[in-house]
Amino acid sequence: MSRNKLAILVLGALLIGHANLQAAETPETEQPKEQGSVVPFGSEDLTTAENLDEGGAISQADLSGVRSELATLRDQLTQRLDKTIANSKRSLSISGSTQTRYAASTSPGKSGFLFNSAILSLKGFLKKDYEEGKSFSYTLGLGSNASYNLQPTDAYLQYSIGQSLDIGQPYLYVNIGQQKKQFGLEATTTEDKQPAINTAQFASKLGLSSRDIGIRLYGDLVPIVDLGYNYRIPLIEYSLGLYNGSGTNAPDTNRNKDIEGRIAINAPVGYYSPWRGLTLGSSFYRGQQDLLKGTTLITNGDGEAIKSRYGADLSYVSAPLGFTAEYVLGRDEKALTGTTLANSTKKITTSRGYTVTFFYEWGEQFYKNSRSQSRNDDWWPTTFQPFIRYDHWDPDTLLANNETAVTTVGFNFFFAETTKFQLNYSISDDKATPLKQNSFAAQFQFGF
Amino acid sequence: MRKWIKALPVVALLFMTVIAQAEEKPKVIRIGAGGNSLNLPKSSGATGWVDEQGLLEKEFAKDGIKIERTYYKSMGPGQNEAIASGLIDFGSAGDLVLVVGRAGGLPYKIISTSGAGGGNVYIQVNPASGIKSLKDLKGKRIGYAKGTYLQLCFVRILDAIGLTEKDIKGVNLISSDQIAALATNSVDAIVSNSDRPLVDQGVAQLLFDTRKYPQFKGGPGAIFVTEAFANKYPDITKRVLKTLLKGYYWASKPENQDAIIASSVKTGGTYKHIKADQIGSLPPKEKYDPTITPEVLKGYQEIIDFSVKSGIIRRKYNVNELFDLRFQGPALKELGYDKYWVHK
Repeated sequence: MSRNKLAILVLGALLIGHANLQAAETPETEQPKEQGSVVPFGSEDLTTAENLDEGGAISQADLSGVRSELATLRDQLTQRLDKTIANSKRSLSISGSTQTRYAASTSPGKSGFLFNSAILSLKGFLKKDYEEGKSFSYTLGLGSNASYNLQPTDAYLQYSIGQSLDIGQPYLYVNIGQQKKQFGLEATTTEDKQPAINTAQFASKLGLSSRDIGIRLYGDLVPIVDLGYNYRIPLIEYSLGLYNGSGTNAPDTNRNKDIEGRIAINAPVGYYSPWRGLTLGSSFYRGQQDLLKGTTLITNGDGEAIKSRYGADLSYVSAPLGFTAEYVLGRDEKALTGTTLANSTKKITTSRGYTVTFFYEWGEQFYKNSRSQSRNDDWWPTTFQPFIRYDHWDPDTLLANNETAVTTVGFNFFFAETTKFQLNYSISDDKATPLKQNSFAAQFQFGF
Repeated sequence: MRKWIKALPVVALLFMTVIAQAEEKPKVIRIGAGGNSLNLPKSSGATGWVDEQGLLEKEFAKDGIKIERTYYKSMGPGQNEAIASGLIDFGSAGDLVLVVGRAGGLPYKIISTSGAGGGNVYIQVNPASGIKSLKDLKGKRIGYAKGTYLQLCFVRILDAIGLTEKDIKGVNLISSDQIAALATNSVDAIVSNSDRPLVDQGVAQLLFDTRKYPQFKGGPGAIFVTEAFANKYPDITKRVLKTLLKGYYWASKPENQDAIIASSVKTGGTYKHIKADQIGSLPPKEKYDPTITPEVLKGYQEIIDFSVKSGIIRRKYNVNELFDLRFQGPALKELGYDKYWVHK
């Protein structure tokens, strides 16, 4: 039964129950107040209105009227359910987000409005296990690409191998399908750890932020639960994945599979500890890629080149303070000469990237319980978040003067539950070009 | 002229004193409270009446001090997070959540109980679960709000029948999620307050409630203030408490019980159940007695000890660490309530 239908049934039952109670609680000796007595125009007051509104004790006729009204309401709701309310075969949650941006740069010809991305996400349970929470769920995402075409983003099944009902016990899940790789912070974290509009350069240059098709096992160990705050933090979080390594919406191009792993150690403390939010993580990604000379595939070079990434990260996110730092090394094998695998000369290029971000918040956006207040209106904790980030990328550590450094100062304004306004000003220095440019971006990110 | 010059330092000192005193009051008093299943910004009982009547607003209007109220759906744990984040100055919560918060170092003190009555606890079961007695709870999925007085009472009930939380599958559910969870068979039973619409509909059965076994009911909840606020603004703290005590006095009068029930209904409860719960409880004067008595302190110490034994908290501490007794005695006396609620 859908949540809407359940809510309607419960509402109906409550109304009937309330009407019955009103009738039952009425003392038998109490006489109904006179209804419809004429009040001279102009002499109405609050007392008169209140008396008319309350109308004294409820009679059987009144009760019949209420029942009739409820029956009509029920019919109306049934019609709406049939005609105008979307239905699905299994549980379904629809969400999405869109980014609309204005970007300007000191480089010529690079400014204007941009509809940066649109994402639609469908999630739900295929089988819900009430016994231990070992449930099957699905996620299907559609996102716009650079050509403004919708294409699948996330498309995976999730199964909870271990129990997921007891917050005091470890969790263990497996995902199978197209999904994000879990490498480091920049490529994977949500907005509470990622205040800038753009991710760090290494995330895209090393292919860390793209999705891939494969299977991922992940979970946690030694959960610490602080019941005083409904706070749960596991000492260890881990993830181990096996992927095609060929990227988003692409079949495997070779017989090899890429392997990814991540382990994160969280400070095992209660909520009211200065160490809450401290996490140290390490990630690796190893695989094979096609051996290329420039952009040309070497004969028999399918899946014959090394591709590896190693990363370490440190974060301390405990509102109102936030700090994240990440360091990543990449190793990619390429052909310098030759046309076949046998006669080619190969070289491994080591690249390096790192980023450091500081931010501070005024407001309650990142306090879980503050976001779930009882309110009459559509209030949301208005929050301001200035930040500064330094992002460094060196595509070949053996070559000098080829790095790009980007310093970004920004300001995020959270003013509604799913909406924020972002201002970023970046100063980038590309030594290889060489090109120094300043750029500005203002972006609305809104979701539903 | 010379006299005027001589008097200048004194005048300046007096002026500075006045300025300093003028600053010795907050611009706003931030008060936390538990939310409700209807997600409405209302609370019930004595403090609900104080809110409805705007008594705190009236009390501090002459000082230009604003009152800000925040109703946390997650009840006590939400207020604990708010205290930890410096978002509220006062709040009211159940006994266990305060004991747990203080064990973790939260800088607040209880300055009054929120009535001696405490809350009754109800165990509702899904008939399909096969649960016929309390012992049948073993191995079953039980939904309750962890970290609240409901958990403490439930653990004590389990303890009385030789079980612990490890013998059941506890599911952390706040009150607004419990009904749906029981109706959809997500859990076999729930540990709740008096509201039980599913029992009325025949969907669930009432297995147990503490009206018959008051030894397991919740202990007195409490009104707390942050140590920083109480130490910086002791007079304001006492005035806030005095205003709230007026609410408890009003609530303790038999003629106001219908209004109390009506107020509780507005927070999402079912009239019939709230009334039955009220009738099955202590007489109003006792139920809304806010006095911190030696028995109250003893009860809280027992909760601390039991929480350590049950593994709910790790640090054992003396109950005096949780209470600040500077305010209630004088406040009761100034209002004349010390002769109303008399304890020998």
